Amino acid sequence: MPELPDLNPVIHGKLRLALLSLLTGVEEAEFTWLRAKTGSTDGNLGAQLLKLEEAGYVAVEKKFVQRKPQTLYRMTEAGRQALTEYVQVLKELLGPAINS
Amino acid sequence: MNANAEEQELKDRLSLIETMIAEGRRGTESWGWVFLLWGVAYYVAILWSSTSFPGPIWGREFLAWPVTMTITFVLTLVIGTRKQGRGAATTIGRAIAAMWMAMGISMFTLLLSLGLSGRGEQQVFIAVIASMLGTTNAASSIILKWKMQFACAVVWWGAAVASLFANVPQSTMVFVVAIFFCQIVFGIYGMIAEARERKRSSAHA
Repeated sequence: MPELPDLNPVIHGKLRLALLSLLTGVEEAEFTWLRAKTGSTDGNLGAQLLKLEEAGYVAVEKKFVQRKPQTLYRMTEAGRQALTEYVQVLKELLGPAINS
Repeated sequence: MNANAEEQELKDRLSLIETMIAEGRRGTESWGWVFLLWGVAYYVAILWSSTSFPGPIWGREFLAWPVTMTITFVLTLVIGTRKQGRGAATTIGRAIAAMWMAMGISMFTLLLSLGLSGRGEQQVFIAVIASMLGTTNAASSIILKWKMQFACAVVWWGAAVASLFANVPQSTMVFVVAIFFCQIVFGIYGMIAEARERKRSSAHA
């Protein structure tokens, strides 16, 4: 079986993979929504989102709604492409085992 | 790490992707309260316009519909904006909100013009409201694949037709019954379904 390093290391982290997958189904999502869906802590979530942002996979927008700060994340085209490629590599690595 | 463990890890990653995509697409918007709010607003407007209350404002029945609808519209915007900051925006959510907003503006403009021009017989007035609600409920139900909402659309279309063949008291009764089932009951049902969904989602997370 091929080795794991073939997979994109930025996406391979469990929380980062979960975040990117969540963002594929929505136009944009609040930090609090992502926290609730993943069950992660503020610190860890912020750090992982920053890594995705630095890789250009997510875009962040900060604004105020009724004087309250709101941080919105959305997946970029590069993020969508990276996730698609990651899934393809996963399927190739698993081969026939994918159905077992 | 042995081959079996590696294989299992890869399968877990694939499963995580599928679960999270499904989780992200799961509706988080809550709309049940809007149906309930507008149902109550219709009842207030009907009561106000058909009863001679004393007082400088309540005594003017012609104000019943424009005033009630404007206040309800503002309330919907205010409460909706407060609720909006709690999650994720989906394309489906935006499509449905756009439909209802467009329907609301059309209905407001048309009914106001009918009222001011004096061409709005009550039966026509009710038929316009019911047919517009039927159209929007049907479109929304098709997008959401929600049979219960399509049933509401059918009730509204039925009410629109019935109103045009009825006299004034009968058309009022048809409207009141349709509001009860398609706004009050459906709104409460929607709120219960949304609460269950939220509970299930938080348990899943």
